[in-house]
Amino acid sequence: MSENIFDVQNITFGYDDLTALSDVSLIIKSNQRIAILGANGSGKSTFLRLLDGLYFPAKGTISAFGEPLTEDALQDDEFAFRFRRRVALVFQNPDVQLFNPTVFDEVAFAPLQLRWAKDEIKKRVGETLELMEIGHLKDRSPHRLSGGEKKRVALASVLILDPQVLLMDEPTAALDPKSRGQVVDFLISWSGTGKTVITATHDLDVIEDIADFCFVFQNGRVVGQGTPSEILADRKLLESTNLLHSHRHTHDGGDIHSHDHLHRFHEHEHE
Amino acid sequence: MNAVLDQKLKPAAPRRKKRGSFVERTLKTLVSEAERALFAEELARKDGLLQRLDPRVKIVGLLALILTTTLARNFFTIIFIFAVAITLAILSRVPIRTLATRAWLSALTFTGTIALPVIFITPGNVIYHLPLLNWAITEQGITSALYLIMRVETTVTLSLLLVLCTLWTHVLKGLRVLRVPIVFVVILGMTYRYIFVMLDTARNMFEAGQSRLVGSLDGTESRRIAAASIGVLLTKSFYLNTEVYMAMQSRGFRGEVYTLDEFAMRQRDWLALGAFTLTAIIAFWLGRQDSLASWLNFP
Amino acid sequence: MHIPDGYLSPVTCAVLYAATAPFWAIALNRVKRLLNTKLVPLLSVFAAFSFVIMMFNIPLPGGTTGHAVGVGIATIVLGPWGSMLAISVALLIQALFFGDGGITAFGANCFNMAVVGSLVANAVYRTIANRAEITSTRRVVAASLAGYAAINAAAFCAAIEFGIQPLLFQDASGAPLYAPYPLSIAIPAMMLGHLTVAGLAELITAGGVVAYLQRSDPSLLKMTALDAPGENSAEKSGWRGTKSLWIGLAALMILTPLGLIAAGTAWGEWSAEDFSNPETREQIAAASLNQMPPSAPPAGLERLSSVWTAPIPDYAPAFMNSAEFGYIMSAVFGTGLIIAFFLVGGWIAKLMSRRNVGASPEN
Repeated sequence: MSENIFDVQNITFGYDDLTALSDVSLIIKSNQRIAILGANGSGKSTFLRLLDGLYFPAKGTISAFGEPLTEDALQDDEFAFRFRRRVALVFQNPDVQLFNPTVFDEVAFAPLQLRWAKDEIKKRVGETLELMEIGHLKDRSPHRLSGGEKKRVALASVLILDPQVLLMDEPTAALDPKSRGQVVDFLISWSGTGKTVITATHDLDVIEDIADFCFVFQNGRVVGQGTPSEILADRKLLESTNLLHSHRHTHDGGDIHSHDHLHRFHEHEHE
Repeated sequence: MNAVLDQKLKPAAPRRKKRGSFVERTLKTLVSEAERALFAEELARKDGLLQRLDPRVKIVGLLALILTTTLARNFFTIIFIFAVAITLAILSRVPIRTLATRAWLSALTFTGTIALPVIFITPGNVIYHLPLLNWAITEQGITSALYLIMRVETTVTLSLLLVLCTLWTHVLKGLRVLRVPIVFVVILGMTYRYIFVMLDTARNMFEAGQSRLVGSLDGTESRRIAAASIGVLLTKSFYLNTEVYMAMQSRGFRGEVYTLDEFAMRQRDWLALGAFTLTAIIAFWLGRQDSLASWLNFP
Repeated sequence: MHIPDGYLSPVTCAVLYAATAPFWAIALNRVKRLLNTKLVPLLSVFAAFSFVIMMFNIPLPGGTTGHAVGVGIATIVLGPWGSMLAISVALLIQALFFGDGGITAFGANCFNMAVVGSLVANAVYRTIANRAEITSTRRVVAASLAGYAAINAAAFCAAIEFGIQPLLFQDASGAPLYAPYPLSIAIPAMMLGHLTVAGLAELITAGGVVAYLQRSDPSLLKMTALDAPGENSAEKSGWRGTKSLWIGLAALMILTPLGLIAAGTAWGEWSAEDFSNPETREQIAAASLNQMPPSAPPAGLERLSSVWTAPIPDYAPAFMNSAEFGYIMSAVFGTGLIIAFFLVGGWIAKLMSRRNVGASPEN
């Protein structure tokens, strides 16, 4: 019923002399909605890239769909195509992901690399553009799009493959409230179709909507895990991992005070 | 904060140098260049003769005309091709004003300045002596200066027409017909895309820096800032490169690039190709007629 | 420096396309082997970078500004082959979109700025920086001089290309068809501008950026400085490995101008009638040069131009005064200078590495 999508065992990874992840182990099953929580530099983006076969661990192993995910394995066309088709990563910065001249080319890029038939590609691009409600942007250049539009094109560019697993890196960062809402809505509806979504974020406001289970990262280690409500209730954990911070601000009465800064808890009492 | 804003709003602040700092001037260039590219897209979406043609025909046709212009050995031919270019511009709804400001004027100032002394130093039949200075103007000198200017004006007009009347993505796809390797075409497309990303980065960098740099800077300091800005951009380039590469890999890129090309030659494209070929052949033949060189007779 | 269409004859353009093509092919192969699949994004991003910095106004001493081509810094960071490709792509976009440099002259512009510029920058940087620490001032000096030398070498090539046009290509009445100035004017005129303004812009860019990177991100400088202390010296063959290519370049630089003449004959672009009396033509040119208005060309031009005519004395055999001979002499002299430069550079590098080898255990 619920097979293991990713089986991560004791992985360690570093850039040059900087250790990004050390001794991380976890298992992600199909149909799960996972949030990887952590402040900037906690290693959560690196972790997503390891899951996507872009980086490879220095120590430890990662298995994807029961097969070892290694640099050597990805040299094989058949394995690479199978893996790339099933796992998709949406990068935090859409400028990085949108490198084609037009929106149409962007969405057609992945199936072209996977050598789909050209007619099939044309049909699927049209459908995907409609699904994401960006059909009217078809011939536009990515640099003329708004932040929210770019995000939708980036999503369309990976969804055309109909992946089983979607890795999202900070999907709500730098978006206006409306686009942010759209992204969250999308994630809710998409994961309802038997897919696995793994979202790296530090946006505590959305995790209850997009995740059933959370892992909390700090300095490259898993320091906590649990359901969103369990994690959100653990103030001590959130504060020690810099996901929750206190700051001072002024209220109407002119009194200055400090309190935990989390918008969903914002209706706090003033004494 | 307000003081900074005030400074920014007052263009004639006494402490500022009149010619503007490195930052201001570079900003101006960046903005105007980006706007130019934006404008080009507008014309390419108009409904005109060149816009309706298959990009492959356009590229091959206009390149053939550019080549015949450079091959011509007499004026008559160059003027003939120039006339063809103007006709194409009118039929493609490209305002003559645009051609004049974007091509003719700058080409004339640049090449004109270079060509001026030629009038006096080229050996040949003297046709006029400047009063007082007694500099000799030769027929060959004038002819030579005109060759240079007319050739530059004509080729610049033709290449501008290509860019103005073709969507960039179509230029890219059309380039493949000229046997440009696909890797190169993809690189070209991505370069264009990342020019905009970097222009934005540079613009943000300067706009953020501008408020801090209201005072006049001495030369050394502004040179240091210029070099540092380029350094920042370079660091950013490396970061972008790694990230983009991973984004490509993630979507199945394995070193080879595949693209979707769908162009269909219609009847009017074949007709246009024929017309271009015919014009180029006529111009090539005309260009070889040395008897036409004396077409411009001096008294 | 960006040669527009119409300044060079189609034959010159074709020859320079042909001369550049093998370098593109070699560069593409080398970079591909080194970077494997990473080639495409790397070149795209760096071509964009080169394009954008060509738009920067570099403030120069004396209140003027100049634009850098960026070939110096590109070579230092990417190596000569990567730089060659990145600058070529940037030049193509400039030619297509901004009319900066012509389409027929694209091969010529790439040859001058991308190929010659990158190779010269690489030779100078490697020779002067030779095994210095990544963060040493010596590398800043090396980078500055590399940028300066590269842009001047490129300008010199452009000047030669301009200068041979009036000799080879004239219409029936004897009027030059393309760039009208002979070598004696083209070379000093081009070099004056580049030895001062444009060269300085490149010098400031290359040196300044290296200085900046030493402080902020020295790892970017390591790619081409594999012989620096503490770096893996497995790729030390860099200089030695490219030696045969230097010889190739030298040969090309000699053959290219010869090829121009040969091609010129084949195409019938200039015929015996045009040069029915080359000696007299040359004399007319010399005479009219003497009555040249002093204000039109830059000051000191005449004195400089005599540098080029001086080595051939009046009593030399008649054939030495012919146009073809004068041209070949200038070309050989120019390429000779460049080759001598490389040879001296190679010699210095060898000398220095031999001294270092004595101390290092690996050799």
